[in-house]
Amino acid sequence: MGDHDKENHYTRREMLKMTVATGSGLMIGASGLGFVSHLIDPKVKPKTAKANRNETVAFYGKHQAGIATPQQAYLYLISFDLETESKHKIIQLFKQWTKLSELFAVGNWQPNAANQQLPPADTGEALGISPGYLTMTYGLGPTFFKKNGRDRFGLAHKMPKFLKEIPRVGNQNLDTSISNGDLCIQVCSEIKQVAFHAVRNLINTGIGTVSVRWIQEGFISGAKGETKRNLFGFKDGTANVKEKLDDTVWAGADEPSWMRGGTYMAYRKIQMFLEDWDQDSLKDQEDTFGRMKESGAPYGKIHEQDAVDPKKMPSDSHVRVAHTYGAPIYRRSYNYASGINKLGKLDAGLAFICFQKNPENSFLPKLKALGKLDALNEYTQHIGSAMFAIPRGMKKGEYIAQALFES
Amino acid sequence: MVNTKKMLVGVVSTLLFVPMLAACGNNSDSSQSTAKATTKQTAVQKGTQKLENIVTDLQAALKKQDTDKVKKLGKSVNDQWLAYENGVRDKFPLLYAQVEKYEQPIYAQSNMNQPDVEAMKEDAGHLQNTLKQLMTAKATQEKESKVLNQAVANYKKYVTAQVDKLVTTTEAFAQAVDQGNITEAKKRYVATRPYYERVEPIAESFGDLDPRIDARINDVDNVKNWTGFHEIERALYQKNTLDGQKQYADQLVKDVKELQAKVKTVKLKPKAMVAGAMDLLNEAATSKITGEEERYSHIDLLDLQANVDGSEAVYQAAIPALNVSHKALGNQIDKQFQVVDNELLNYQKQGQFESYTEFEKNKDQVKALSNELEKLSKLMAQSADIF
Repeated sequence: MGDHDKENHYTRREMLKMTVATGSGLMIGASGLGFVSHLIDPKVKPKTAKANRNETVAFYGKHQAGIATPQQAYLYLISFDLETESKHKIIQLFKQWTKLSELFAVGNWQPNAANQQLPPADTGEALGISPGYLTMTYGLGPTFFKKNGRDRFGLAHKMPKFLKEIPRVGNQNLDTSISNGDLCIQVCSEIKQVAFHAVRNLINTGIGTVSVRWIQEGFISGAKGETKRNLFGFKDGTANVKEKLDDTVWAGADEPSWMRGGTYMAYRKIQMFLEDWDQDSLKDQEDTFGRMKESGAPYGKIHEQDAVDPKKMPSDSHVRVAHTYGAPIYRRSYNYASGINKLGKLDAGLAFICFQKNPENSFLPKLKALGKLDALNEYTQHIGSAMFAIPRGMKKGEYIAQALFES
Repeated sequence: MVNTKKMLVGVVSTLLFVPMLAACGNNSDSSQSTAKATTKQTAVQKGTQKLENIVTDLQAALKKQDTDKVKKLGKSVNDQWLAYENGVRDKFPLLYAQVEKYEQPIYAQSNMNQPDVEAMKEDAGHLQNTLKQLMTAKATQEKESKVLNQAVANYKKYVTAQVDKLVTTTEAFAQAVDQGNITEAKKRYVATRPYYERVEPIAESFGDLDPRIDARINDVDNVKNWTGFHEIERALYQKNTLDGQKQYADQLVKDVKELQAKVKTVKLKPKAMVAGAMDLLNEAATSKITGEEERYSHIDLLDLQANVDGSEAVYQAAIPALNVSHKALGNQIDKQFQVVDNELLNYQKQGQFESYTEFEKNKDQVKALSNELEKLSKLMAQSADIF
């Protein structure tokens, strides 16, 4: 893919610290309660976590958090379907989600009501734990705007340019029950329990307005300062876009105002046939990728970050095909493993996630070519799929996608 | 398999709120308000007048046994009631609950192929009387503490009526078991279960009474100690023999009578009442929707409806209290009960719920019902805010 061969000397922790520093101006403003005071009793101040409050990522900002944010160890991607035809109810929910996200991002939680007969406001399992760089990223699927040809909320004219269901490609066997959705929230944290707590409370708040369609979990870890590896054991993301995200990720002036500074999230759940892969020879595994397994170096080169020379790679190798078709994309994928399948084989693979400003000239051509040509297809099958528009970030006082509803 | 007709007749015969009427229809002022009504009708009176007319037509159709017309008018009764019920709930919560008691079975019958005309006649008569009171009723503003006590008193009446019916239907069931009459015992099993499932949380508050009456096989540590409805259910539907069941049937009758005696003396508290409604919804959402409760007879949907009914009775009793400061919540709860009841109507044919084994074949509908119950549960939990 793109020749982003500049050495990355930051350790993961340093990168996290940088993000915190750039976001800190916003965080100071985020500590008060203010604008959504009608959602909770203004007299009761939220509890302050004793946990390490430095491990935070600002929820508010020009772009939503959880995209350019250095990748945390754990992922939950939740897809929702709307249970309402009322725009008002959706706005109410988005306001509540905004409020909760603001609290959770800094390790706070909703205080209980004075009346002890009511259920606790917070489910409790993250009380006092560090947020672990928790991010919550909100997205809207094509069916949020139009379903069965119907303009659901009179917002179809504000639909972003490239938002649509990912078209059919080769090597897919999609399960509709784990594909698509009207809305999504990507929740990431260094601490799985913290991420789950956010997921659970956001779902609970949504009862009556949205129902969960599917949830995908993920995990990823890597050696210090090195590109992380997928479950095939190969480095995944060597050629990832790392800078000038305005050119590749953030949507610009050609999009509706609520989308400028937003992006498109493409998601594919890619099942890996690990038992088959594990019996494959090292040589064939490397031929399949077009890179060396241990070093990550492209064929014909010595170091991982050396520029790719497609001609040195087998014509059907994964890296060569991906490099040849479509503009660069910004990936933020996670591994997944959830027990065994009906055959007693590991149910595992890649929760592929990427962000780009124009999927039509980047992600989609790559996907199409890979579905047809990729040698890796022998060991994978795409079983889930979704595309979401990620609205631009919010200033404090705004709620998720406010400009979509109110401008 | 499941006889809804009997269940509905049961509800009708409980006459829950009759003693409350005096508190509502202010007799001394009735002439005055009637006089007003003739000059300028309120929205409630206009709506009630329309509904009265439809019920009158319905009664005529019932008399003629004109099934098609009965079904059509039964549905019109429901449409007209839904068109103005919010106003009634706001101003006359007790009469509102009473109208619902008679209106709902009429609507349910009108959705059946062969409506139970006798049951409908009875309901229509009661409904007509209630509507007459509604025409002359005067709205009263009650203090919150007073309406809470009233709510508990109303609910206690409901519980007492259900438990009384539980005892008589359980006696009939035990008799069929004693006689070794499998066919009859099955019928009576189905007839008695809803009375227990509507008020189960009350039984749960009396120590080991609930496990004795209603334990599932997996609830006991030793199957030898297993007693109650489900032990006999297994004999009836799985073993197909009633040999040796007499002792269980006799014990069951003793246990429900013990429940009846305890309910008479129990002092209910408002908080426990709403907590009980939540328990019922949780029951519906965990053991009924999974088919665990009635794993041999598969009448889980009947139990589920009974759990919802029992929870709805709490809501109806609490309407006056909700009206004081939580009107919007009351509206939402009301709507959601309608959604759930309508959803459940989809799984009834000829007045009987389909068996769970049939229902669970369509995973989407299981999920849909589960979703609606979850919404209801979330709303009902908020109703505790009246305390």
